Amino acid sequence: MAEVSYVKASRVFSGNPPVRAVDELSLEVADGEFLVLVGPSGSGKSTALRMLAGLEDIDEGAIHIGGKDVTNVPPKGRDIAMVFQSYALYPHMTVAENMGFALKLRGVAKTEIKAKVEEAAKMLDLTKYLERKPKALSGGQRQRVAMGRAIVREPSVFLMDEPLSNLDAKLRVETRANIAALQQRLGTTTIYVTHDQVEAMTMGHRVAVLKDGLLQQCDTPRALYDRPANAFVAGFIGSPAMNLKTVPITSEGAKLDGVIVPLSRDAIAAAGGLDEVTFGIRPEALGIVPSGEEGMEMTVELVEELGADALVHGAVKIGDASQRFVVRVDGRTPPTLGQHVKVAVRDHSEIHLFHPETGERLEA
Amino acid sequence: MRRFLDRYWYAYAMVLPVVVVIAVLVLYPLAQGVYFTFTNINEGNIANPVLERPATFDFVGFKNYLNVLSGGDSFGAFWGTLVRTLIWTFSCVFFHYTIGLGLAMLLNRQVRGRTLYRVLLILPWAVPAFISAFAWKYMFNAQYGIINQLLRSAGLPDPVWLGQSNWALVSVIIVNTWLGVPFMMVALLGGLQSIPGDLYEAAEVDGATPWQRFRHVTLPGLRSVSSTVVLLGIIWTFNMFPVIYLIAGPNPNARILVTYAFERFFSGASRDYAIASTYGVLILSVLLVFATIYRRALRKQGEVW
Ligand SMILES: Nc1ncnc2c1ncn2[C@@H]1O[C@H](COP(=O)(O)OP(=O)(O)OP(=O)(O)O)[C@@H](O)[C@H]1O
Ligand SMILES: [Mg+2]
Repeated sequence: MAEVSYVKASRVFSGNPPVRAVDELSLEVADGEFLVLVGPSGSGKSTALRMLAGLEDIDEGAIHIGGKDVTNVPPKGRDIAMVFQSYALYPHMTVAENMGFALKLRGVAKTEIKAKVEEAAKMLDLTKYLERKPKALSGGQRQRVAMGRAIVREPSVFLMDEPLSNLDAKLRVETRANIAALQQRLGTTTIYVTHDQVEAMTMGHRVAVLKDGLLQQCDTPRALYDRPANAFVAGFIGSPAMNLKTVPITSEGAKLDGVIVPLSRDAIAAAGGLDEVTFGIRPEALGIVPSGEEGMEMTVELVEELGADALVHGAVKIGDASQRFVVRVDGRTPPTLGQHVKVAVRDHSEIHLFHPETGERLEA
Repeated sequence: MRRFLDRYWYAYAMVLPVVVVIAVLVLYPLAQGVYFTFTNINEGNIANPVLERPATFDFVGFKNYLNVLSGGDSFGAFWGTLVRTLIWTFSCVFFHYTIGLGLAMLLNRQVRGRTLYRVLLILPWAVPAFISAFAWKYMFNAQYGIINQLLRSAGLPDPVWLGQSNWALVSVIIVNTWLGVPFMMVALLGGLQSIPGDLYEAAEVDGATPWQRFRHVTLPGLRSVSSTVVLLGIIWTFNMFPVIYLIAGPNPNARILVTYAFERFFSGASRDYAIASTYGVLILSVLLVFATIYRRALRKQGEVW
């Protein structure tokens, strides 16, 4: 068990121009913490993880594991275990041999390996399959073997690169819970990479959002949701995504389709001097109001019924352009296609303002 | 039966030409060869349409087999030749495999001019065997050959390579190794490229040294390719006639089973087709037995992948 820290660590792939796949990443992961790295495809998540594993050079900066600088230490010396997206199980070894391989290389006694493998197999419900080859297992079972191979080693850090992406939706939800519970039980520091923000929100103690190799924000899921540091994080975290629109701002508030959405004094002060701001509001903070009340005029273009709720997509005129908005409404009484409805902000404390150019969060 | 034919006649009609061709091209000569081994056929008693002479050879039962298997010198010292054939085969295939694997591993990483190396290393394969054989024969020349010149200038003993000694066998093994490495290299390079890179990474994270990664990832990953190319290599080398014959001629020190069969067939006082055929059948039997054992052994080790 150990804490992990990235100290301005960069990975630059040579090329023309060179790719800064991970750019001056600074991140502290506490002992026993479950940290999720999330970001869109190509944002450098895997690269960041592989740098920690020692599979990728660290071109600038440093990485520490357990207080020790491991920047130039090969994977063998880092006491980490990794679960690969493809699982990378050794095809010619049985499940038991796969799980015990690292111990065997370390010269641990056969009986001890056997005991440890059996213990891990019991934890993961793999006892029946110990003598099988990976080829003869289902995707979910292979995933568990990959987990087992990591657990058996009792490393100080677990690294996982999208370990659930090859599973079907139902199994993914189930396995997600199992991994989180297992990590809780073992108390091993874990860095988990995913591009799925739902996975990130449900599993991580803290979530680090990456984009183009740059760390955008690292905080608890709640804080990411409530106070995204910039427009990118705001749009990335939460499903469906937050409505983010560039709108004119006046001294009273933000101007949307003739309606002035009042803003707090602090917010207006923070936006001081700007004519426009990026206005963000989550679909659940919007609502449909009776036609007599004040609100934005919206033409319904699509209704997604999710059971308990429905998501209403529609066009709202802002200035000259027509902009798309998503509103979450009660699933039992959704509007119909083509209907004109009035949409209003239900919860004014859930309005986020961002700088229209830099995307930085305005207001304190 | 009727219904069976009604239903599948078309399929049978389709495979019939192939069956006929195989029967004519393979089975008939094979059957005739086997038949000759039970006769005393030679140049003097075979039917000769030019001389309008009918066939006069007789059926002799197992006499040819008894003669050959008793191992007499006048019948090619079968057992000694078999041992030499095995030495030849296994040393050639061993060097083919190890050198081929070494080169394949060198070529399997990012090195500059990789394509050039690849072309150069495949060259021995592309040159017709008899040209390289003559080139090597010249290099092995005891007096003028470059090999002995180099050995002499280094102050080392300079053997008569292609004389009446076991150096002749060593020489042909060297040449055949040189000729056979490219095939192994190309086949194993293909095998290496099919091993997923993340297995190496997993092994590295698991704490494997480069040697352990080779031992536990590369070799098992190459198993299916290796088992095929080694079997092919053994069969080809066992029957490799041109290299030995072009370099060592009928030198008994480099004699293997096929070259002796050839000698009996095409040279000597009376061309002894019966003994040559007997050798042919014995070679076939040895290879069949070997291939069966080989496949058993592989299967016992479990399916690959
Ligand atoms: N070997 C390499 N050479 C050059 N560029 C690379 C190399 N590996 C990755 N990159 C680049 O680095 C960037 C980050 O890649 P990385 O694999 O870390 O993305 P990721 O966040 O894991 O994406 P995904 O969710 O698709 O797996 C990408 O732009 C990619 O093209
Ligand atoms: Mg990735």
